[in-house]
Amino acid sequence: MVPLVQVEKLEKRFGEVCALDRVTFEVEAGEWIAIMGPSGSGKTTLINILGGLDHPSAGRVVVDGLEIGNLGERELTRYRADKIGFVFQQFHLVPYLTALENVMLAQYFHSITDEKEAAQALGRVGLSDRLTHVPAELSGGEQQRVAIARALINQPKVILADEPTGNLDEANEAVVLKLLRELHDAGHTILVVTHSQAIGNLADRRVELEHGRLARITVPSMAKE
Amino acid sequence: MASRSMFLRILWKLLGASRGRLAVALIALTSGAAVCSALLNVNLDAERKLTQEFRTLGANVVIAPPAGGSEAALADTGVLDRIAALRLPQIIATAPYLYVAANSGSQPVILAGTWFDQVAKMNSWWKLEGGWVSSRDDHEHCLVGFNAARQLGLAPGSSVVLRSGDRNISLTVAGIVTTGGAEDNQILTNLDSAQNLAGLSGRVSLVQLSVSGTPSEIEGVTRRLTDNLPGLEVRPVRQIAAAEGKILGRIRGLIFWTIALILVLSMFGVLASMAALAMERRRDVGLMKALGGTVPRIMRLFLAEAGTLGAVGGLLGFLLGVVLARWMGERIFGVVISARFEVLPITIALTVAVALAGAFPLRLLGQVRPAEILRGE
Repeated sequence: MVPLVQVEKLEKRFGEVCALDRVTFEVEAGEWIAIMGPSGSGKTTLINILGGLDHPSAGRVVVDGLEIGNLGERELTRYRADKIGFVFQQFHLVPYLTALENVMLAQYFHSITDEKEAAQALGRVGLSDRLTHVPAELSGGEQQRVAIARALINQPKVILADEPTGNLDEANEAVVLKLLRELHDAGHTILVVTHSQAIGNLADRRVELEHGRLARITVPSMAKE
Repeated sequence: MASRSMFLRILWKLLGASRGRLAVALIALTSGAAVCSALLNVNLDAERKLTQEFRTLGANVVIAPPAGGSEAALADTGVLDRIAALRLPQIIATAPYLYVAANSGSQPVILAGTWFDQVAKMNSWWKLEGGWVSSRDDHEHCLVGFNAARQLGLAPGSSVVLRSGDRNISLTVAGIVTTGGAEDNQILTNLDSAQNLAGLSGRVSLVQLSVSGTPSEIEGVTRRLTDNLPGLEVRPVRQIAAAEGKILGRIRGLIFWTIALILVLSMFGVLASMAALAMERRRDVGLMKALGGTVPRIMRLFLAEAGTLGAVGGLLGFLLGVVLARWMGERIFGVVISARFEVLPITIALTVAVALAGAFPLRLLGQVRPAEILRGE
């Protein structure tokens, strides 16, 4: 079976600094991958390239059969709308739009908006009673759940989450992790950048980076055994 | 349809989100639009009123037999009926003149027979000492030009006997006029009296017309008169037409450049607000791009926001401008300026254009790189 994500000898340089150095790995459809490593190891750079937010300097990245390193700005924008769902550490909701409108915004840029579908997506993350609230009226956990609903609304091929619980307290972290687990169980492919060993242990595999290089790929269940 | 309603929904939220900054931009646009609307109203209305005013400053078209003939250098009074039959609304006054060489005692003097009611309409600036001759049936009174009065020793109330050939008439001086023109050396009386004295019943030397309108409108009237009055020369008084055209042209030029300056200043006001707004919106644009928003689609939202602001500013500015124009008309031109609704679409179009030009910093947001924004750079 062809892997959903193929990363081959991926390099990213910012001037003299080498943020990613010949990183190679693959992700099967439905897998939950934790991308781990110390600060400055290249985790966010890797996820930005996978999400089409940044261009690789060298190497090859193929997602769902599409080599994204060769895409122009316009194609990358379409790629992000069609295939990627983002969840950010800072939530990144539009402050003047309600929870419902924030979800509909992703629909708007993807194709057409469907208010009922957006409301159902928020219902799935337990926010049926918060549809008309703007981000300032929501807790951090609730904002992150809106972001997850937004990431899912267009049925993306891959969900990319950058420290999704980094700004949450323990209770809200547990809620978000439960949601991610449910998404994984439902067959979604998830790549999560995290410092947290607890989240790393929930993943199918851990891709560990050090100084921009792939240090190791581990399977948490085997590590526990 | 769903996309359009979402577009309007986001647009509405955008307008509400940065009320402070947008209010500053709206004030700049409204004030600019108000001045533009006022000046455009003044331009349209004052031009019409000024051309009417100009028509009290003397004749601007003269109809006379062709120069060169001697006996033939008189026209039939039927010409007056033919002019009236054309029913040209631009003709404000029609004054026939018959010039007769007469003598007062041993002093030669020109007697000009005319219609005083028409002369009064087109020469309101004449300085008069004494009274005016108000009726065309008044065959007893005359007006005497300032120089002629001095030469003949006449004053209001004096009597003068004029002789031409073997005919003579006796007139009482109603008033002394100072015109600064040929009339200062003439005696003016009713047309019938002059015709009787000269034995030229039904004849006139020339007809003076006061025609209102722009130089091109006056040209049009001249053409129609020429076509309908064969055998007569219809001559616009070029100096007057040119002077009127020059004054109107200068007023128009002044208004045009003032409007241009005001619009540029308004644009800078909008530019300043929009530059600050663009800084606030960088994160939103980065996010929208990350979610798959194309640059044209995102920019459409911001340009629609600026356009809406321009349209609202234009409408408010138009209303304020009408009030301002009325005030300017009364204070500066001494005329009542009425609202001209054709100015509304022009004002809105100009204000929208200024708002879109002032939204230039928002257009630069298209260059925002989402990865940098989402990293918090």
